[in-house]
Amino acid sequence: MTLITGGSKCGKSRLAEKLLDKYTDNKFYIATMQPYGEEAFAAIERHRGLRTGKGFETIEKYTALHELTLPAGSAVLLECIANLCANEMFSADCSPDHAERIISGIEHLKNSSSELVTVSNNVGSDGINYSPETNRYIEVMGRLNARLAALADNVIECVYGVPMVLKGRL
Amino acid sequence: MIMITGGAFQGKTEYAKKRFSLTDSDILDGGTSQLSALKTAKCVKHYELAVKRLLGSGEDPLVFTGELCCDIVMINEIGCGIIPLEKSEREWREMTGRCGCALAERADEVVRVCCGIAEAIK
Repeated sequence: MTLITGGSKCGKSRLAEKLLDKYTDNKFYIATMQPYGEEAFAAIERHRGLRTGKGFETIEKYTALHELTLPAGSAVLLECIANLCANEMFSADCSPDHAERIISGIEHLKNSSSELVTVSNNVGSDGINYSPETNRYIEVMGRLNARLAALADNVIECVYGVPMVLKGRL
Repeated sequence: MIMITGGAFQGKTEYAKKRFSLTDSDILDGGTSQLSALKTAKCVKHYELAVKRLLGSGEDPLVFTGELCCDIVMINEIGCGIIPLEKSEREWREMTGRCGCALAERADEVVRVCCGIAEAIK
């Protein structure tokens, strides 16, 4: 399992897709972003364009990843934890055990795939004090990233497209 | 080109001044200097603010970035936070990410400064 993190538009997806280049069959893209609003559509279209011709089958799953069943030996790109976390915390299908549900969902994906690449985000470094709800989200994201990094064999941080290996290898 | 990045107030300018023996007049500021002068400056700091001004003026920051000929470009990391509520702030943050990626790809060397400590990451 590889965890890729970093800020906004820093080349995380491009790197994640590249890591799965060698896989051709049973290659799944699990999209967690809910298509609400014009900008979400634009972002989804942009990412779809980037994935075109790379052999991914897209599965839209906004919460409860443990419910997914994948063929044995699948290669999986999960994008992204920031949306998944927001969905698990704030959407209609949210769960009071959001963090546990996210971790168990990702453990499930890790166990049922031959390769899992997970894209997350660093959201806690702007120094702004938000509403209690948003502050809680920042805290959950920070703790989740730390737990995911412990689960992962490799952890990569993207800095303006430059990958930095924080754990394991690239 | 050498790109220097990192969070705000981490010592990027001090590092650049020391390493490249720059004086204040060698360094143009993306937030205040004339935009057209940035392209041929020896060193530019706060390129993220130049991106914001270019967006405001309707010029394509990615095209501008492709035409940049400076030796040293400093750009803050600004994308590691919560998605801003304001649309223009979101556009700025995303465009800064894309321009930063374009700069890093072109750069011969990318340095990240954190707490005054510089690390060559490319």
